[in-house]
Amino acid sequence: MSEEIVILMIGVSTFLGALGLIGLIWAVKTGQFDDHSKFIDATRHDNEEDLRDAAMMAEKKAAHKKRIKELERKKCMPAD
Amino acid sequence: MSHIACTHCNLTFSEEVLIKEEVQGETRYFCCKGCQGVYHLLNAEGLGTFYDKLGDTQLKPASETSKSDSDLGKFDLEGFKNKYIKNHEDDLCEIHLIIEGIHCSACVWLNEKVLHKTDGIMEASINYTNNKAKIVWDPHSVKLSHIIQTIRSIGYNAYPYDPALQEERAVATRKTYYTRILVAVFGSMNIMWLAIAHYAGYFSGIEQSYKNILNVAQFILATPVLFYSGWIFFRGAYYGYKNNIVNMDTLVASGALLAYIYSIYAMVTLRGEVYFDSVVMIITFVLVGKYLEVLSKKQAVDTLDGIMGSTPTEVTTVNKGIKALVSVENIIIGDAIELKPGERVVIDGLVLSGAASFDESSLTGENEPIYKQKGDSILSGSLCLDSVVLYEANKDVSSSLLTSIVNLLEVSMSRKPRIEQLANTISGYFSTTILVISLLTFTGWYFFMGDFEHALIIGISVIVIACPCALGLATPMATLVGISMAAKRGILFKEAGFLESMAKSDVLFLDKTGTITEGKPSVQHVHIEDGFDASLLYALVSTSNHPISKGIAAYLSQKYDDITSIVLQDIQSIDAKGLKATYHKQTLIGGNASLLKEKGLAVPMDSEHSLFFFAIDNEVLAYFELSDTLRENAADAIDDIKEMGVEIVMLTGDHEKSAQKVASQVGISQVYSKLLPQDKANIIDEYHKQGHVTVMVGDGINDAVALALSDISIAMGNGADIAIDVSDVVLLDDKIESLHEAYILSRRTYRGIKENLGFSLLYNVIAVPLAVMGFVNPLIAALSMSLSSLVVVGNSLRIKNLKFRNKT
Repeated sequence: MSEEIVILMIGVSTFLGALGLIGLIWAVKTGQFDDHSKFIDATRHDNEEDLRDAAMMAEKKAAHKKRIKELERKKCMPAD
Repeated sequence: MSHIACTHCNLTFSEEVLIKEEVQGETRYFCCKGCQGVYHLLNAEGLGTFYDKLGDTQLKPASETSKSDSDLGKFDLEGFKNKYIKNHEDDLCEIHLIIEGIHCSACVWLNEKVLHKTDGIMEASINYTNNKAKIVWDPHSVKLSHIIQTIRSIGYNAYPYDPALQEERAVATRKTYYTRILVAVFGSMNIMWLAIAHYAGYFSGIEQSYKNILNVAQFILATPVLFYSGWIFFRGAYYGYKNNIVNMDTLVASGALLAYIYSIYAMVTLRGEVYFDSVVMIITFVLVGKYLEVLSKKQAVDTLDGIMGSTPTEVTTVNKGIKALVSVENIIIGDAIELKPGERVVIDGLVLSGAASFDESSLTGENEPIYKQKGDSILSGSLCLDSVVLYEANKDVSSSLLTSIVNLLEVSMSRKPRIEQLANTISGYFSTTILVISLLTFTGWYFFMGDFEHALIIGISVIVIACPCALGLATPMATLVGISMAAKRGILFKEAGFLESMAKSDVLFLDKTGTITEGKPSVQHVHIEDGFDASLLYALVSTSNHPISKGIAAYLSQKYDDITSIVLQDIQSIDAKGLKATYHKQTLIGGNASLLKEKGLAVPMDSEHSLFFFAIDNEVLAYFELSDTLRENAADAIDDIKEMGVEIVMLTGDHEKSAQKVASQVGISQVYSKLLPQDKANIIDEYHKQGHVTVMVGDGINDAVALALSDISIAMGNGADIAIDVSDVVLLDDKIESLHEAYILSRRTYRGIKENLGFSLLYNVIAVPLAVMGFVNPLIAALSMSLSSLVVVGNSLRIKNLKFRNKT
């Protein structure tokens, strides 16, 4: 086995591992492991409904942002 | 009489008392209107799948949890907003709530679902572990009072808490620790498999070029572990340096850093061996240990928020006939405050008018309601049970009893690690000694031999050999065996160190109600006249939640098989005295002697027990003598503990007479009675000052302060949550015998620890000088370390041979 192969093997495996690590750290920082009981139960209750819910919440947020922007625009507009 | 479960809450009741309803051709049963309402609401909202998710879990009936909506207005008050609501930049509001009544993940699902469906709510997430919720909403679309009402409408309740106090900090520390551990574990796992190749090469020969590749890879992996994960130790060492303290952090940081620097030196100069694996191992192991401490603190914070959150932020004051809601902080001494049934008192005071029963169980631990009338003092923390009372504040909120209890708890939580401090000082001396020895070794070798590299290896080997091994294993190994043995017997030690302090303790404080006694009155003697109908009395006492009523109901259902279900009319609860009802034009009265005397009935008054009389149409048909019973084998277990040389003291909030009676039954000579929570804590503090190591056993919120202050606190498994949370040991089976077993186990384990420590000290005394003299190369070190570890493990396993009385 040549030296290059060893370097490649160590390098690639460490890099892949590091990707996993970064993903895990990202999950911790965004609070996905804060509630361990819910985390475990998630598999039981995971279904389409939750996806629809999440989409609904995202829509609500988007609508709110739009409204705020419109309000600001109105404020900025010079009076007729 | 068949029993059927309520469709909503799953609690079982006899068929006759349930509300029947035909829903889509199927018969549904409900225990109350509240459950029926929630059931229909959920189905109408398309949330019927909640019941599939719920399974067999039992909920509280909706009528019990639902509160009147009269207090909803307070959630929109300015004072409330300033205290609990955070305003986001984008015009949204955020609040943290504790949701009451959550039993299972289905409850969490339901609450989130309903909140998500509410217009104007942008974010709602509930933590199942601690029932805390974070809600973000648009105040222009929905009011907070409406959100709370929504939660209440489905049978739960919510109250706010302030996360900025403690929680945010606790969560942040936990998360940083977690990421640091992840990095450390990742680094050490990868370095270990590189190190295996390295070690294999050490024995079978390896080309320098390959060795270099492995070295560089290990270096790359070790660097983030040392500087990112190990940052905590460098910081600790720095603060230690600033305060002139050498601590465990100093040893960990200096050992790891020196090994790291030397390894770089060895890697660059291609001479000697690298020790990157030792660097990451030291950091990882010690870091995981520290993380466990952080975890336990977080739990305590959750409970504290629970207590503070359930207390009202506003009270109703009455000034010249005008009622106003005033924030508790603005109440001054002399203000007149109105208290409604079901409200918790937040400010101490004296009753001006009205009379009501108060539940003081959270303060005194005694569960019998106390009747208070004009001139009597009421204490914050107690609960007004049955009528409206006007009282005058004689303290402001900050000096009231409840606030001082919570403050005391906060203080004692941060004061808790006394043993830890001691351990740190000891390890500080150990660390200093090792550092000095290693420095002397290095200078000695350098001056006398003149070889810098060789001197450095020997210096580092002294630090590394002394740092983690046998000495580090001595305590955890023995306590691990001790803790798992204890857990099998229903004794939960929350931390390893507690076994040690328990073994050293020489004073045991016992609470009376719920600890030595069952905490539930049971019938001792019965006197029955002709014409007594057990079914009638059973129907009467079933209408009350009073412990005496419960005791009688339990006795009747056990003694009589032929009890039939009877529906009574005009049921009245008479303040702290008894019950009244009518049945087929007969008047039923059940209660204490003073109630019957009021009704003009002559009754025998003299008994050392609590008395309960039952009369129909002014004729006494039966009376019962009830008393709290001792726990099984309490007297024997207390005798056994005394024999071990432990002084036993009883602390109780109860009256002297009943305290003395119980004490004499179990053979305790030192009794302190009529104590408030702080008094208990003060007594424990007195003993501390005399140099005693104390153990406190209790079960209620009233014991929480004393539990938190004691060196070791033990809670009964069925006690209040706060008691279990602040305690170090929990007895799951509620038996005093387990207390005796806990003593035996902790003392045996402590002996094991001492043996282990003795051995590992011996090991260090031999190994360190050998390292100093330069005889230790990696091979010998590895061999002697594993050998010493094996000895420690083997000795610890001997604890398993311990035999207990009565049981196998």
